[in-house]
Amino acid sequence: MSDLQRPGADWELQFVIAGCAEKRMPVEIVGSGSKRGIGRPVDGAVTITTASLRGISLYEPNELVMSARAGTPLSQVESELATRGQMLPFEPIDLGPATGAAHGSQTIGGVFATNMSGARRIQCGAARDHLIGVKGVNGRAELFQLGGRVMKNVTGYDVTRGLAGSWGTLAVMTEVTFKVIPWPETAATVIYLGLPDDLAIELLSTALTLPVEVSGAIHLQAPVAARLGHPGLRIMGKSVTALRLENFSSAVAGRKQHLKEMLKVYGKALELDHRESLEFWGELRRLSVMPNRPSLLWRISTKPTTAPKLVAAIKRYMPVEVYYDWGGALIWLEVPAADDASTAEIRRVTAIHGGHATLIRAEPAVRAAVEVFQPLDPGLERLTRGLKAAFDPAGILNPGRMYANL
Amino acid sequence: MPANTCNRRMTVTIRYRLEHPIAVLLSKSMTAIGGAAILNFCTRRAAHLNFLKLEPPMTLSRMPEPDRTVLDRSEAIIGELVALLGADGIISREEGRRAFEADALTAYRQPPLAVALPRTTEDVSKLLKYCRQAGVKVVPRGAGTSLCGGATPTADSIVIGTSRMNSVLETDFVNRTITVQTGITNLAITDAVSAEGFFYAPDPSSQLACTLGGNLAMNSGGAHCLKYGVTTNNVLGLKMVLMDGEIVEINGPYLDSGGYDFMALVIGSEGQFGIITEATLKIIPRMPFARPVMLGFSSCEAAGQCVAAIIGSGIIPVAIEYMDKPAIAVAEAFAKAGYPLDVEALLIVEVEGFEDEIDRLLRAITDIARNFDPQVVEASTSTEHSDRIWKGRKAAFGAMGRISDYYCMDGTIPLARLPEVLSRIGEICAEKRLKVANVFHAGDGNLHPLILFNANDPDEAIRAEQAGAEILKLCVAVGGCLTGEHGVGIEKRDLMDIQFSPSDLAVQMRIKSIFDPHWLLNPGKVFPLPAQELGEQSAADEAA
Amino acid sequence: MQTNFSQKQLSNERIAEAEAILRRCVHCGLCTATCPTYVLTGDERDSPRGRIYLIKDMLEDSAPASPEVQHHVDRCLSCLSCMSTCPSGVDYMHLIDFAREYIEQTGTRPWKERAMRRLLSEVVPHPDRFRFALKLAPLGRPWVKLLRRFGFDQAAAMIELAPAVLPPSPKYEGPGVAATEDERRARVIMLAGCAQQVLRPGINDSTIRLLARHGVDVIVSAGAGCCGALTYHLGDEAGAIEFAKRNVDAWWKDIENDGEPVDAIIVNASGCGTTVKDYGHLLRNEPDYADRAARISELARDVSEFIGKYDLGAPRRWSSLRVAYHSACSLQHGQQIKEVPRELLVKAGFSVVNIPEGHICCGSAGTYNIMQPEISSQLRDRKTKNIKRVKPDVVAAGNIGCITQLSTSLDVPIVHTVELLDWAFGGPVPLGLEDLSKFVSDVPEPSKRRVNDFIHA
Ligand SMILES: Cc1cc2nc3c(=O)[nH]c(=O)nc-3n(C[C@H](O)[C@H](O)[C@H](O)COP(=O)(O)OP(=O)(O)OC[C@H]3O[C@@H](n4cnc5c(N)ncnc54)[C@H](O)[C@@H]3O)c2cc1C
Ligand SMILES: Cc1cc2nc3c(=O)[nH]c(=O)nc-3n(C[C@H](O)[C@H](O)[C@H](O)COP(=O)(O)OP(=O)(O)OC[C@H]3O[C@@H](n4cnc5c(N)ncnc54)[C@H](O)[C@@H]3O)c2cc1C
Ligand code: SF4
Ligand code: SF4
Repeated sequence: MSDLQRPGADWELQFVIAGCAEKRMPVEIVGSGSKRGIGRPVDGAVTITTASLRGISLYEPNELVMSARAGTPLSQVESELATRGQMLPFEPIDLGPATGAAHGSQTIGGVFATNMSGARRIQCGAARDHLIGVKGVNGRAELFQLGGRVMKNVTGYDVTRGLAGSWGTLAVMTEVTFKVIPWPETAATVIYLGLPDDLAIELLSTALTLPVEVSGAIHLQAPVAARLGHPGLRIMGKSVTALRLENFSSAVAGRKQHLKEMLKVYGKALELDHRESLEFWGELRRLSVMPNRPSLLWRISTKPTTAPKLVAAIKRYMPVEVYYDWGGALIWLEVPAADDASTAEIRRVTAIHGGHATLIRAEPAVRAAVEVFQPLDPGLERLTRGLKAAFDPAGILNPGRMYANL
Repeated sequence: MPANTCNRRMTVTIRYRLEHPIAVLLSKSMTAIGGAAILNFCTRRAAHLNFLKLEPPMTLSRMPEPDRTVLDRSEAIIGELVALLGADGIISREEGRRAFEADALTAYRQPPLAVALPRTTEDVSKLLKYCRQAGVKVVPRGAGTSLCGGATPTADSIVIGTSRMNSVLETDFVNRTITVQTGITNLAITDAVSAEGFFYAPDPSSQLACTLGGNLAMNSGGAHCLKYGVTTNNVLGLKMVLMDGEIVEINGPYLDSGGYDFMALVIGSEGQFGIITEATLKIIPRMPFARPVMLGFSSCEAAGQCVAAIIGSGIIPVAIEYMDKPAIAVAEAFAKAGYPLDVEALLIVEVEGFEDEIDRLLRAITDIARNFDPQVVEASTSTEHSDRIWKGRKAAFGAMGRISDYYCMDGTIPLARLPEVLSRIGEICAEKRLKVANVFHAGDGNLHPLILFNANDPDEAIRAEQAGAEILKLCVAVGGCLTGEHGVGIEKRDLMDIQFSPSDLAVQMRIKSIFDPHWLLNPGKVFPLPAQELGEQSAADEAA
Repeated sequence: MQTNFSQKQLSNERIAEAEAILRRCVHCGLCTATCPTYVLTGDERDSPRGRIYLIKDMLEDSAPASPEVQHHVDRCLSCLSCMSTCPSGVDYMHLIDFAREYIEQTGTRPWKERAMRRLLSEVVPHPDRFRFALKLAPLGRPWVKLLRRFGFDQAAAMIELAPAVLPPSPKYEGPGVAATEDERRARVIMLAGCAQQVLRPGINDSTIRLLARHGVDVIVSAGAGCCGALTYHLGDEAGAIEFAKRNVDAWWKDIENDGEPVDAIIVNASGCGTTVKDYGHLLRNEPDYADRAARISELARDVSEFIGKYDLGAPRRWSSLRVAYHSACSLQHGQQIKEVPRELLVKAGFSVVNIPEGHICCGSAGTYNIMQPEISSQLRDRKTKNIKRVKPDVVAAGNIGCITQLSTSLDVPIVHTVELLDWAFGGPVPLGLEDLSKFVSDVPEPSKRRVNDFIHA
């Protein structure tokens, strides 16, 4: 294991990075290390963990805003929010079960650094949409603070959001400020069984064009649905297409009726009540329907209407198991292990249908050998290099994590 | 070991210090530039602090010196532009150029060298490529409704206006997206999808006229962004032309970015990264009903507490708007919306949903409001009434023009500090012997104090600008920011170092240099001028 | 907005007025989006805000109008859409009128244009001359292409606009009083107008019939004629003032006469209505006229505005016709009469549909369709396309200009609102609707018609 640094203050972190930059020593940045198994492996002489940068520094429930130091565990953030009946809007996904890490360990910094949002993204937006302020240290060891604690802020460029999804390759965040929302009074789930992919996505799209504010729209192919915790759904041996409504009780009831009425051509609907809904969507959030196995896990973002076609195209080359989230706009795709992670096929098909694909789970050797993130067009590649150089000219932060020579 | 560490830390610190733009500026200017820049800088600082009274240039911010070599070539440059776009696409005569000398902040005026009105992305690409080669600066312009001088030209720049690029390219109702050219007006986007029951969420009060391009450049918000977010939360993909003419596509009709989130960086870049020519946007199914309720209070404290209590209760209305007494009077004169004229503070709270949901929400909201002793609680009675209530609010700035010139501020503050900030704003304006009216997005703390002044009185104009600067400093001091939705532009650029440290600014300026290494796009905006000059310099150094 | 005039400049009353208007504009740009010319050209100089700026610069410099300023001011339709939009209440109408006059006095125009302007202002306001000219127009038709080739676009446009067949002469001709047969509830003067009587005499007939049938005496005053709008918008203020004075004199005789009050001056061409409503302003500096003109402006009513105040009762005929109501700019923007005509048509039993982009001008705008044929025809085609989208059986408009303009491109008939109303309340089939009359059936006559809720305006 490399030299492990646990800075407890911004200046300490600055100092460590300055030292590394001077010696051009590569640094791996981890929060709790929960997403370490994702992306290309980083060979860092020094590992910096934000684990000691802990604590909630500001929480104003009446203004729907919270600031936390980057190493604060997500669980702590969420339980603090829960005391005031609030939550993170974007339902951060927990990749632990799918990638073999413990679940519930991730840090709030890591959540924003990876910008992985769960089912509610279609209704409320992504992690990046809720990040409004950030403090951090870049590869030049400069401490910077951008954005702020107010919701609306266009003072200067939106670098804050730009750091979301940068996987620690631009800067180490030491504090993040984000928007939160109230928990809905209740939730209900409407489920249709046994639909083929294309019909299911059609159903989800129809539901999402109705003014009922669907806050979760997923489709699980039959083998995936068989891993659900809900005993009734698990044993059906059928695909599961589910829609979530969240609001105050009478609104949920009315909207559910409206929704079912509009979707009745798709067959009879099952329903999950509030408690069952929490469990059902909690499971999806932990991705436990895609358990850790030697197979590969890809995450593909595309247009909902093309998603079933894209999956069908890949299926011509290899067996697939699929969990569609975001009304079809996100595909969690499980395919058999392969030395090249089947990148050629998957990337070609994605290119034809439009979108981007990330390899989430594969052996480290495989991840080191292939392009894990979506390859860049020449124009964007130039900008990507520029951005990296602007933040981290020596290339010491998580080198190679996103792109082989960056 | 300690000694060693200490040593290392020292060198690191010094290095770090030297990398600070201001430090570098000092050292550089002392040697090469010979102090001129410092002098300049100090004068301006002094002006800020009111040590030095500025003479007639009625504003505090100066624009960069025009590039003589460009001005000398102006005829040749115009000839080239005409060759690229045809005479119909270029405006070069004096009178015509003057019509483009200002946006909605008329305190800053400067006719450009020429104006180009392209029709396609390819036209824009040709123009930028030429300008880059010829070293000519470029100012993108949408509808010119910017309130911060974002589209103000310089004498040596070409204005590239997108007004002719206003087509809808594709609507996709199943996937809930629309792709448009960026010269389209904000309202026209909603008009294009409303027959199918959709709308495009960000709704700046200027939505009738402002273009999507301007909205993207400023990351504009609006009354309804409390629920639906601002521009950056409603865009899926962009097509943009970089300064060298290269056309890049950033994301597309799918969610999130596969790599770095360049879209986040470009939205809100105030026209300094490239010219955005097309965009794919999220469209949202419109709720069947929406209804505003008007809540009138005898003090701004009560109104502020009421807003906090509503949000704290777990209800997020679509909009919570605030007007104070002077603003109510003006808006009422224009819209005849039936606003109560005798309250100190009026909240317009709008909720949406199905009919019965609205009733329930309005009941909950009025119940909360009753704890704060409201003088007026009145829900809209019809769609037509709702339209008038919103018409008055949305036209409040313009309607202010009926009684006076105004200078519109745009700071954002944490809601809890509202009463204190409002009373300070009153004091600041009183000290400067100016009147002020407040209209703002209360749900997210985005203030719009309108400082009333006489633009033909240079002294009053300066006082207005000084009052504005103090108000913005106050916003930052209480934990807020300089601008919530209008952008920095020229107007607030010299206040940027109140909110940002030198390294904060350096981080931003380096990103500018990636997109536009020669700093040709929208010059003189966003950063304090000395910092800009330095940014340009260091970009050039780094390139060399 | 800041302005920059010297004390000396401001001592000129007209400049001072213009300055006051300019000061109100805050340069917010909201008006640009609803300006028809800006929508077409995307050029700030063809927008209200741009024109205001060009005018401001021109006046501040006290310079003669440059060709560029002249070009863009000429392209303004005076549709006043910008005034409907402007939240600051900028009085664009009087600013552009002043600018037009300023340009006429200081600028220079090519001889072709001057000749055309002269021709229009000498012919159109005089019904006899105009009728004669229209009879000649067909002779010019074979030459239209040739005229265009040699750059006589305006002449070509003029010939094309002339109707191929002239409608029959009006029934009610010349001055006089049409006395109601019912109990009299109001007494009004009707402006008989100029070009309209020639192009579509049925409009005056219908107005008189409709009013008289509902208890209104209608006077057509001897000596009254063109309202002056045409010359005014060509920048000839003095000429317009002459027309206005003549009408004031003529009407005043009937107003003073026999001590019976005149309740309103009815105008059934909204373009003229806007001008008559502005007589008070136009003649404000004419000591002998100012007061009377102001009174006349107060009395002026668009015909729809006037009858909108009364309950006309149930229609005599019932139709299932789909009517697209085209809101003339002078009515919706100039006089801010937006919903009344629509409501009248609905009450008269028609099913009324809204035309998309209803706030945008059809390109007629007085003599604009002759002076600016290019923009005008683009706007006409845009309007035609929008009308076709709602698939009407017939189009109704409150202004003869729009009717003439759109009849050249529509494939459905277009008539004046008042003609449809007259038809529904018992008048003859409007010209051009003969084929549609089979969709209209008589409503059985009720035993006693209600009349008692007739109120004074
Ligand atoms: C074994 C394993 C188990 C996992 N379990 C879960 C899980 O239970 N729930 C879940 O949501 N996800 C899980 N993941 C995925 C992982 O937890 C997510 O990556 C997590 O959200 C990241 O949080 P973290 O603090 O662990 O970040 P890390 O994994 O430490 O980091 C993720 C990325 O963010 C960067 N990063 C972290 N902190 C910062 C910072 N402050 N500033 C800049 N960059 C930073 C890192 O460099 C790295 O590129 C797991 C991954 C693995 C390999
Ligand atoms: C009455 C009034 C009310 C307003 N209300 C609001 C409000 O509620 N919320 C709000 O956010 N703003 C508001 N504004 C401010 C203004 O309308 C917005 O900033 C708007 O987005 C500007 O759009 P525009 O098309 O007029 O852009 P312009 O003013 O022309 O330009 C603004 C900036 O965008 C850049 N730009 C324009 N087009 C492009 C392009 N295609 N590519 C790259 N850069 C480009 C320009 O260089 C400039 O920096 C208001 C303004 C007025 C006058
Ligand atoms: S809307 Fe009114 S104030 Fe605004 S620019 Fe137009 S004329 Fe001026
Ligand atoms: S009158 Fe009509 S054409 Fe003229 S500027 Fe106003 S809106 Fe445009």
